[in-house]
Amino acid sequence: MLLPEVEYARPSSVQEALGLLSEYEGARPLAGGQTLVNVMKARAAAPDVLVDLQDLDELKGIDLGADGTVTLGAMVTYSDVIGSAEARARPILGEVCAQIADVQVRNRGTVGGNICSNDPTNHLPPLLVALGATMTIRAAGGERTVPAEQFFVGVYQTAAGPGELLTTISIPAGKADGFAAVTIGKDGTCIVNVAASLDGGSPCVVVGCVDAVPIVLRPGTDDEDAVRSAVRGANLQPPSDVHASADYRRHLAEVLAARAIRQAQGRRN
Amino acid sequence: MTETTVAPPKPVVAEPDKPQKGWAGQNVPRKEDKRLLQGAGVFFDDVKRHGMGYVHFVRSPYAHARIRSVDVSKALELDGVYGTLTGDEVAILTDPFFELSVPPGADMKDYALAVGKARFVGEPVAAVVAATRDLARDAAELVEVDYDPLPPLVDARVAEDGGAPILHEEAGSNVVWEGTFDWGDFEGAVAEADHVVKIKELHFDRFSSTPLECSGCLVEYNRGTGQWTMYCNHQMPGVGAIWMAPAMRVGIDKLRFVTQDIGGGFGNKICLHPYFVACCLLARKLNRAVQWTEWRTDQHTANAHGNERWFQEIEVPVNADGTMLGFKVKAVDDCGAFPRYEPLGCIIWAQVTPGCYRWRNIRVDFTQVVTNKSPVSPNRGYSRMQHLWLTERIIDIVAAELGLDPVQVRKQNYVKHEEFPYETPNGCIYDSGDYARCLDIALDLIGYPSLEEKRVDAESRGKLLGVGIGSTLDSGTNNFGQSMILNPELQFSGNNEVATVKLDIFGEIVVTLGTVPQGQGHETTAAQVVADILGCSPDDVHVRAGHDTYWNSHAGFSGTYASQFAVTGLGAVKGATDMLAGEMKKLASVVLGCTPDDIELAGGMARMKANPEVALPFMALGAILNANNAGLPQDLDVTLNCRYVYRPPFEKPDLERKYGNLTLTYASQVHACVVEVDPDTGVYELVDYAAVDDCGNRIHPQIVEGQVHGATAQAIGAATHETFPYDEDGNLLTPNFYDYHVPHALDMPPLKTGFIESESPFTPLGAKGMGEGGGAGIHAVCAALQDALRTRGSPIVTDSCNPYHRVWSLLQDPAASRAGIEISSR
Amino acid sequence: MEASAATAVRSKTITVEVNGVEYEREVEARRLLIHFLRDDLDLTGSHIGCDTGNCGACSVLYDGLVVKSCMMLAVQADGAKVETVEGLADGNELTDLQRSFTAHHALQCGYCTPGMLMSATALLREKPHPTEDEIRKAIQGNLCRCTGYVNIVEAIRAVSQ
Ligand SMILES: Cc1cc2nc3c(=O)[nH]c(=O)nc-3n(C[C@H](O)[C@H](O)[C@H](O)COP(=O)(O)OP(=O)(O)OC[C@H]3O[C@@H](n4cnc5c(N)ncnc54)[C@H](O)[C@@H]3O)c2cc1C
Ligand code: FES
Ligand code: FES
Repeated sequence: MLLPEVEYARPSSVQEALGLLSEYEGARPLAGGQTLVNVMKARAAAPDVLVDLQDLDELKGIDLGADGTVTLGAMVTYSDVIGSAEARARPILGEVCAQIADVQVRNRGTVGGNICSNDPTNHLPPLLVALGATMTIRAAGGERTVPAEQFFVGVYQTAAGPGELLTTISIPAGKADGFAAVTIGKDGTCIVNVAASLDGGSPCVVVGCVDAVPIVLRPGTDDEDAVRSAVRGANLQPPSDVHASADYRRHLAEVLAARAIRQAQGRRN
Repeated sequence: MTETTVAPPKPVVAEPDKPQKGWAGQNVPRKEDKRLLQGAGVFFDDVKRHGMGYVHFVRSPYAHARIRSVDVSKALELDGVYGTLTGDEVAILTDPFFELSVPPGADMKDYALAVGKARFVGEPVAAVVAATRDLARDAAELVEVDYDPLPPLVDARVAEDGGAPILHEEAGSNVVWEGTFDWGDFEGAVAEADHVVKIKELHFDRFSSTPLECSGCLVEYNRGTGQWTMYCNHQMPGVGAIWMAPAMRVGIDKLRFVTQDIGGGFGNKICLHPYFVACCLLARKLNRAVQWTEWRTDQHTANAHGNERWFQEIEVPVNADGTMLGFKVKAVDDCGAFPRYEPLGCIIWAQVTPGCYRWRNIRVDFTQVVTNKSPVSPNRGYSRMQHLWLTERIIDIVAAELGLDPVQVRKQNYVKHEEFPYETPNGCIYDSGDYARCLDIALDLIGYPSLEEKRVDAESRGKLLGVGIGSTLDSGTNNFGQSMILNPELQFSGNNEVATVKLDIFGEIVVTLGTVPQGQGHETTAAQVVADILGCSPDDVHVRAGHDTYWNSHAGFSGTYASQFAVTGLGAVKGATDMLAGEMKKLASVVLGCTPDDIELAGGMARMKANPEVALPFMALGAILNANNAGLPQDLDVTLNCRYVYRPPFEKPDLERKYGNLTLTYASQVHACVVEVDPDTGVYELVDYAAVDDCGNRIHPQIVEGQVHGATAQAIGAATHETFPYDEDGNLLTPNFYDYHVPHALDMPPLKTGFIESESPFTPLGAKGMGEGGGAGIHAVCAALQDALRTRGSPIVTDSCNPYHRVWSLLQDPAASRAGIEISSR
Repeated sequence: MEASAATAVRSKTITVEVNGVEYEREVEARRLLIHFLRDDLDLTGSHIGCDTGNCGACSVLYDGLVVKSCMMLAVQADGAKVETVEGLADGNELTDLQRSFTAHHALQCGYCTPGMLMSATALLREKPHPTEDEIRKAIQGNLCRCTGYVNIVEAIRAVSQ
């Protein structure tokens, strides 16, 4: 429970936040805190400075573009997504957010924090990859966009590096999406999760919890056998732990991929 | 006489306006609730003292390691650090805690901090005290411990093997206690039986009830008197003091335990003495109040687990008609790194030797060993739960293998209603009950007759449906004489509990209990019993919250544990109130000039039966005796402050035969559950659930039902996700609530409850102790899973906890689970 | 950086309104909101049941939303309105929800109760007539080891009908 010593700053603009992040080495953005505070409680991380993003209204918008693109600010909470009419343009977003943990966590946890922490068991990394989202990253020097598939780079690591901020996530129009997970208890931590979408041209199946980053599969067709054999062919090397052996995870990936695709198919029209 | 009545399945909310016969049996509003609902309860961590220091323990990262040195100098340099304590100091200042076992267990040395060696991950090795909680942790990180890691022992089954690491060199063995229990004629039963079913191995997992509030204390040392006061949540202070005082080389009067509200105990707060001794030493050394709060990760890794147990080489003789004649088993119990409350678990199971069944020939080879894991402590259902899981597994495995119906085979083997009081093969006297009737009610609640239709419906949705039953006993009110079966030198037998009831100067009725409640509503039920005897309302009865050693209201076995309050606690309350009522009548008769028999207590008055107009309010009685007593006869023997010690009727057991009545009451539970398994993933859901309880007369039906709900939820947790597995290095793999998944509101199935009341012929109020449950839910879930999978190669459920991955393994390789099953038939 | 810009500080004086009372205190940046409430303000009604944000015993309303106060720093709450269990009853007059909890025996040890009440209060403010499923979802983040949730769900349902 007892955090290591840390300094705290509360900027009122993205510009100011970026200034702080580059000014202090060992500074880290603090979004909803639902991961970062825990990690600090365990003293598994000890950032020198926490840059609290809570006042950055620029990061709290949910917009629906004329072409159906949904743009989420990084500081949008899961509860915001669930309650937003704009976000409902891509229904799976709210549905998956509603499965994350519990009301309290959903009231604080942010879309940006979820993907920036890149915990392999989180819900949103595979989902956003499957939906073909793009992430906008701002640094003191400027802004760039990264497709979700390239955003997740390694163990708890993303394309948003030190001194940078993820600002927005854009999700193109669509609805033929699916998400399936086996969790520890109802709505608990994912043992394996799979997101699928048929809207990005070719079918896309993304498996979470089996590697440091979401594993992207493009089975060519949305035929169940093709999807299953794509999972089998992916030569997944998932971790073995107290909740699942590697074999069990591999097996779940296949079953859940089929389920996620089936859900997506059901929503095609 | 044993009378059985069906109580309404739903508790009725109390309607205080309606006139009732008596308060006992009614759902009066709980006295505890008002403060707890407003956040005005006082839990140990709410207590503060001026200038107090916070304790943080430095804990071993190794499961087994020699401690070469502990260097606290860097920690002491930190600003705001008040002081430290190390194992070396502890070894000088204290003696090892008293052990209950005979050798080798008796020779295992257990101190407040690790001395010389660390024996489990999380074991306290040193302690630091600082001005704030955070600083104490900062400083603890600066303590340098030089460890020499040793190979750990994590599998109890190899603890006696030649190459196994020895945890306690002084003992020379990892065995704490071993012995054979042999009742009836097992060989004869095998010779007579038509079939003998053999089961190679079953495993009861480690888990614990993990009370939501972790442990802790605030300790003050009084230099003038040499006394320590512990504001804490120890749930069995009487026994805590027996451990602590000799180790600290002080009289028991030097230890004062104070509790008010406790956030759940379930047995997990019985073995806190090592931590408390460390805090006491620090309070004295630093001459300041010190406070220790355990965090969840500490609780999971290093406080108290339930006993893990292996059952090996099981043999069950069965007749062709399904009558089972008994069983034989080799039990290996894993108690973690130190015995502490053990080896009591090596005998406690014997309270329910044949489970609910008429089995007469039983042989149990019992061995308890230490391993490099967290020590155990009595966990709700202590030791009986493990054993009852075995008896229920036996029933369902035998039924499945011989093609018997699990309902019929239970009914056929159950002790019958007309056989009570029933003497078991080891001399326990089951007081009353009607197991078959409870089973019928449970089956009715889950719609048993229409289950085949539901099975078909589930199949149409791609699911496998299964039904399971768990029938168990909650033996309550221990005869501590059973400890002598383990160690004849122990001077423990019988049981007792205390209550004091007084009439104070303004007419207040004040009750003091010896117990240490943690949510069981003792303030309320005690007030009900008092109100009935004194003819007043429970609102007029003031029950002191919690426990305070200074109240002098406790006895050797005081505490809240082992399903006994309704018998011992309320027995004491009833005894003390009867005494007080007698005194009040005597005093009134002197004042009113009649005999005590002419007086009755009613409506808050002592009044003449013949002429109720002539009456003295309680206030007058209290005032006369306490403050206006001139002129009262010198020989009037009235104190209006009555202390009663309830002592249940027990004999010492026959140590030679390991025979005798080990508890006073045997409440029963029959649970039935329906699961649906997804065969593609092993994921399953409890879709229906019924719990039927029989604990004799219920003083407060709502409280009883609440205990049933809670015990059921814990059993469901233990059956589905809650387990404490270790890796080969001795690291606990589920040290937090992410990995140790406790059921939340969405995980719980719809829970239906039913009750019958078989009055106990042996207790003051006809009630039986209850609350622990026998883990019936664990057995019911295991049986239901096995039933659901029967069309998939009939795998056998061999573990008590079955997370999805285990179910998937059973689906993948049913033959592996069946490898240990063998049937020989005549 | 301009002079007006935020700077990083190790401790800070914050102003927080708790149950309608404004408190000004200096706190270390690392202090959790739950410890600020319990240890600094002596509002010990909110409890701690875990160290990983799973149990919900520390739940409070933060600007109207239910949150786990062990997952926030006290400094983050500067300028915020916090409601805790101590603020529910009007003096000694319990709320309908609190009365329903006692009538239905929805608490045993009472340790989870403050957090449970805050989650239920948030639910009922937003949705005065929730379904059973909505009730269960609303308290999913609050663990109880005593009651099996049966009577808690019942108590919330009864008060919303
Ligand atoms: C009990 C519990 C259960 C949970 N269960 C689940 C679950 O089932 N599924 C799931 O997906 N999640 C779960 N979570 C995690 C939760 O969703 C977190 O909210 C999320 O992982 C992190 O989001 P946050 O806003 O809280 O970020 P924080 O914890 O504040 O930050 C997380 C990381 O991201 C960085 N970061 C945050 N925002 C930015 C930004 N804009 N730019 C750059 N870096 C940034 C931070 O520096 C930090 O390293 C659970 C959490 C809890 C407490
Ligand atoms: S203390 Fe457990 S969630 Fe906050
Ligand atoms: S009442 Fe004890 S934890 Fe809920």
